[in-house]
Order: sequence, then structure tokens, then C-alpha cells
Amino acid sequence: MRMINFAKRNFKELIRDPLSLVFEIVLPLFLLFIFQQFDIPADNYKLENFTPSIILFGFSFITLFTATLVAKDRTSSFLIRLGTSPMKPSDYILGYILSLLPIVLIQNVLFFLVAVIMGLEFSVSIILTILVSMVISIFFISLGILIGSLVSEKGTGGLGSIVVQLVCFTSGMYFPKDSIGGVFEIICEILPFEACLNIIQGTLHNDFSNLTPADIVVFLIYFIAIILLSIIVFKKRMISDNK
Amino acid sequence: MMIAIETKKLTKKFKDKVAVNEIDLKIKQGELFALLGVNGAGKTTTIKMLSGLILPTSGDIIIENMNMKKNILKIKEILNVSPQETAIAPNLTVKENLEFMAGVYQIKDKDKKINELIKQFKLDEILTKRAKTLSGGWQRKVSIAISLINDPKILFLDEPTLGLDVIARKELWKVIEGLKGKITIILTTHYMEEAESLSDRIGVMANGGLVDIGTSKELIKKTKTKNFEDAFVSIATGGER
Repeated sequence: MRMINFAKRNFKELIRDPLSLVFEIVLPLFLLFIFQQFDIPADNYKLENFTPSIILFGFSFITLFTATLVAKDRTSSFLIRLGTSPMKPSDYILGYILSLLPIVLIQNVLFFLVAVIMGLEFSVSIILTILVSMVISIFFISLGILIGSLVSEKGTGGLGSIVVQLVCFTSGMYFPKDSIGGVFEIICEILPFEACLNIIQGTLHNDFSNLTPADIVVFLIYFIAIILLSIIVFKKRMISDNK
Repeated sequence: MMIAIETKKLTKKFKDKVAVNEIDLKIKQGELFALLGVNGAGKTTTIKMLSGLILPTSGDIIIENMNMKKNILKIKEILNVSPQETAIAPNLTVKENLEFMAGVYQIKDKDKKINELIKQFKLDEILTKRAKTLSGGWQRKVSIAISLINDPKILFLDEPTLGLDVIARKELWKVIEGLKGKITIILTTHYMEEAESLSDRIGVMANGGLVDIGTSKELIKKTKTKNFEDAFVSIATGGER
């Protein structure tokens, strides 16, 4: 199948870029390890809460490097060549998504492996969390496809960094939103990152008391909207790039 | 002689700008047809329409007796393009690039086809090298080799030797000459000697229109000039220079 063939190519391109592996895997692992070396008196930094945060942090780099790959393909003649082949738009989009999923799986397994070594209790919830995370990762991959379709390779660095920062500050990864309150709290509620973290943490803890109906609605709206937008914009840009 | 490509009043407009204006063209099977023109003449837009990359605003394209509007996917199976810039996956090896494109075109006996191309283009020594580490000449050679993976009936070569040194260029000419007669080739170039030495016929574009067509000798005779470069300048400028 053409999409699998394209996914294989994308996977090779991604794993042969050492910088992407450092940011997607090594940096989050380092943060997971280093924050457990300090006895920080806040719930956010407890292993069972911080491991899901690290998963989300790793996803923000998935967005960044997906965007870079798509932008690089777009701006080189590579997609012109493929544009004249019998590949369909669905082959491209699914090919990009499928190529990232093995990397997401590797991330998750390594993050939980290190967390378990550091004291996280192993349970079936970990496997469930990995599965739920993989679904959430599709949102981050689609966001990467959308950014990569909109801006040049240089621009993906800037926009990707904004996503990384938003994940860090609005997901509740480092501090809860109510510690600042006001407009910041509203921003956190409007953006999807806190909802993503609540879903991952809830699955790991097998306790969804922190997850509000608003979280589910916000996540679903972003999830569907970003996937649809990425398909529409990618298709449009493939045509307009060739004008 | 069978017609491989036919266009009828082929037109492309971008908002108010007419990039290609009512082109009528017939290219025979096995012919090497060069499309020349100054920058902005409409060559690349024409190639993009003929290769199915962008849709015409109006007019028809008939390739191997199939109308592009109705049979775009079938047509895409039988053509291939070597774009202006080198279009290969940079982090993949040469062999992996060939395998990837064989997958794109769902080639049944892909190992046989890949080995055939390796032999034809003498790619043995660079087979395991990543594409981004190759010299410009090698990258272009690989790019053309890849464009033959589906045994295309029609091949578009968009400025295949742009930016190459004279030795690499002559080497690619040999490769292109080797393909002549077997497949229909549409070549765009800014090098007059390339068009003159390789092509069977030459079409000259200016301001979106196809202003003249013929063999290099015919065009020299028609413009009463001494050489092909002068003939081209005369046609492209409407005889002003």
C-alpha cells in the first residue's frame, strides 16, 4: 500500500535525524529523571503525575519535528515528484501519521520504563495509558502537519517552539493553573493541553475525578478540528505550492 | 506516427495573469521535444499541467488517447517527472530511494527493475550512500534514474542539467540520448546547445504562448539567423533583437 510505503520513508527520515531523537526522547527522559532527584513539595512532580506530563512534553516535540518534515518535503521538489505520482491526499496524511506512531510508542515505553525503575508501580493502567496517549498523539501529529503546511522549514522552528511553551505552561505540567488564576486560567481552559494531560493522568491513575466534561469537549473539538484542518490545508498547499 | 501528447487551447490563469495562453501542441510517441522560453514564459506551468500537478483553467490535455480530466490517475501511472531541483529523499540511501519510488508506483517485479536501473545508470558505487551526501551530478543522475522506475511512456525533464559542471552535463546528455526513441520526452532547458543537440523538435514559448515550433535547423532557416541561439532570441523577442 502506498501510505505504508510513504510512512516507512518518513519513519526513516525521522529516526535518521539525531536532533529529533534527542528532543523527542532524550530530553523528556532527562527531565523525568532530574526532577525526581529533588524533593519538590508539589503534587505535579510526583512520579505518577509527572510521567504523564513528560509524555505530553514529548508530544510537543512530535509536533515540531512533524512540522519540519512536512515543510521540508513541501519546499523541496520531493512533493512535486510525488504530486505527479498516483498517490492520493489520504496516502500523504495517513503516511505522515503512521510514521510517527512507532516513535510515540517508543517514547511512551521508554518513559514508563524509566518511571517504573524510579519507583512507579507497574499496573495494567500503564498499558491503557500508552494506548490512550497514542490516540492523543494523533492530535499533535496533525497539528505538526498543519504547521508544516502553513509555514516554511524555518518558520516551523518558531511555531513549534510556541507549541512546546504552551504545553509547558498551560497544561499544568509544572504548576496548576489556579496558582496564577485570572486570564491565565481561562487560557488554560480554552487550550487543549490541560485537557490532554487530565485524560492521560486520569487513565494512569484509573481516576477521572479531575477530568471535567469541559475537558472532554475542548479536547474533542481541537482533535477533530485540527485533523480536518490539516487535511484541508495540506491539500490546498500542495496545489498552491505548485502554481 | 501515434500522438503521445495533445493539447487543445490549453490555458492557465492565476487571478488576472495569463500564465499559459491557448496552447495547441502535438508531440509524437518517442519524440524528444524541447520546450524553450525566457523566465516567466510559461514553460514550467505548462509542464505542471501536462504532468497532472495543476489543473488547467480551460482547454484539454490528451495523453496516450486519454483525456486528463477523466483519467488523471491512469495517466499518472504512465508518466514521470524529474523536477528542476533534485527530488530525492535526503536521509534515504540511493537504494532506499529507488525502493521507495518502486513502492509509490506499486512495481510488481521491483528488484528486477531496480537492478536494471542500477546497471543502466552505473549506480553501484553510491548505492548505500545517503542521497544528501552525493554530489550535485550524482543527485541529478539518481533523480532521473528514479523517474524511470515505472517505465514511463512519457517523461518530463525540467532543466535536468541546471547548475551542473560541463562533465556532469555531458554525462547526463549521454543518459538522455540513450532514452531517445524509447519514451516520449519533454525537456525544458535554458541551455541552447542542450536543446539543439538532444531534441527532435523545439517549441519556443513567450508570454504564455507557443510562438514557434520546429527542428533547430528549421527555426534557424525561418529566422534567417546564423545559429540556434540567435534564432531563439529572435523568436522569443518577436524579432526585436
